[in-house]
Amino acid sequence: MFYVLYCIVNEVMSFYLQSVRSKNFIVLFNLFTILEYSFVCYFLYLILPKGIIKKIIPFAWIGFLLFAFGDYIFFSEEYQFDSITSGIEALIVLMLSMAYLFSQVRSNNSLLVYSTFNFWVVISFFIYFSGTFFLYLMTEKMMVNISFQKMYFVINISFNILKNLLLCVAMTMKLNGVVKEQKKVIPDLDDDLLIYQKN
Amino acid sequence: MFFLQDQTAFTFSGVLVLGTLGMLFMAVMLVSIVVFHQRKVIRFNKKIQKMEEERQQMLLRASIQFQEEERQRIAADLHDDAGPLLATARLYLNENLIHQEPATQLQSIFSAKQIIDDSIQLIRNISHSLMPPTLKNFGLEAAVKDLFEKINGSGVINASARFHDNRQRLNDEQELLVFRIVQELVTNIIKHSSAGFIHLTQNAQGNIVYFRIHHDGRGILQRDFDKMEHNSAGLGLKNIQSRIRVLKGKIFFEIDNTHTYYKVTIEVPREPIK
Repeated sequence: MFYVLYCIVNEVMSFYLQSVRSKNFIVLFNLFTILEYSFVCYFLYLILPKGIIKKIIPFAWIGFLLFAFGDYIFFSEEYQFDSITSGIEALIVLMLSMAYLFSQVRSNNSLLVYSTFNFWVVISFFIYFSGTFFLYLMTEKMMVNISFQKMYFVINISFNILKNLLLCVAMTMKLNGVVKEQKKVIPDLDDDLLIYQKN
Repeated sequence: MFFLQDQTAFTFSGVLVLGTLGMLFMAVMLVSIVVFHQRKVIRFNKKIQKMEEERQQMLLRASIQFQEEERQRIAADLHDDAGPLLATARLYLNENLIHQEPATQLQSIFSAKQIIDDSIQLIRNISHSLMPPTLKNFGLEAAVKDLFEKINGSGVINASARFHDNRQRLNDEQELLVFRIVQELVTNIIKHSSAGFIHLTQNAQGNIVYFRIHHDGRGILQRDFDKMEHNSAGLGLKNIQSRIRVLKGKIFFEIDNTHTYYKVTIEVPREPIK
């Protein structure tokens, strides 16, 4: 929920900054990459079963942060979208998502994987990062091209919508789970006792 | 120059569209493989689990069925053979005693008749306790009420039963199992709890039938039941548990919030009538 709210705020702010012709929206994009990666990593860290992959996640997170800041400070041009950071983010998230999916295949769980909240969240990230991987890789070099900008808009919006739809499904699963956990209602079997006591 | 730029942009757009579609296709394929594979594995595991459950059910059912058949056989033997034999013996005795001295004759005839009458009554009682005819002929509600009336008649304890929703009855086998459980529970309450009253309530919700027995004596709680079930003692409780398993039902031992009454709740899912 927090992630979705952050996405909305980010989109609104970047749209506003673009509309006032400010170049700061690129900074916002780069910051979003880091925060989004942190969210996803933390979520996958929570849901992945114990193992090497789970142990690697904190190191991958720190490594990515160092790389992102290093790249932004030393190598990137000012006010330019950082494709390499986004590409690496997408690759790591895709690999971690795949690790989660394979852990589900290997686990001896009798619950269908698509009836869980975690699965739909992972799928939403998996499909979103798969779809936008090439887009973000090309953005740095191609952003000046008008036809690319149009395509960027279409692809980015489409996958954002798809991601949010899948997150909605995940939340529905969560809500269903909460309802099912509520106590089962059984008929009142104690009313007779009151009648009996009165007699 | 402009043409070349346009050409490059077009090539990049193609790569972008193809790459995006390719990645999306791979992602969807991977997810589909995971989902279908997991479904296959779960189906297989469930099949094995079901087979194991069926095997256990079969074993339990066979053991209980054997017990019930044995009881029915004894009941039939006592009722059909021992009863008429004793009645005939009484007739012979009557006939033979006619030719003796009148005073002794009368006394012995009276005594013999009394003893044989008692025997007949005793055998009838045994027969009825082994397989209650009310259950066989009129169903669970009548059998439980009959049982409770008999308990009430003894004057030791107040017993009452109320069936709220028995329009859709359990099948014969289930009714017999529930009756045996109720019988065992009531016997335990009378024997061990020093209760002043027992009250049974029946109700149904959806496909599940509920029975609850209240009593005001010393009862047991779920943890005691679970503990006693694993002890060598408590054969009656073990029988209750095995019957519950056959019924695919549940049993709960609780105490009410005021700590005045103990409650035993039985949940039985309805099975189609055979």
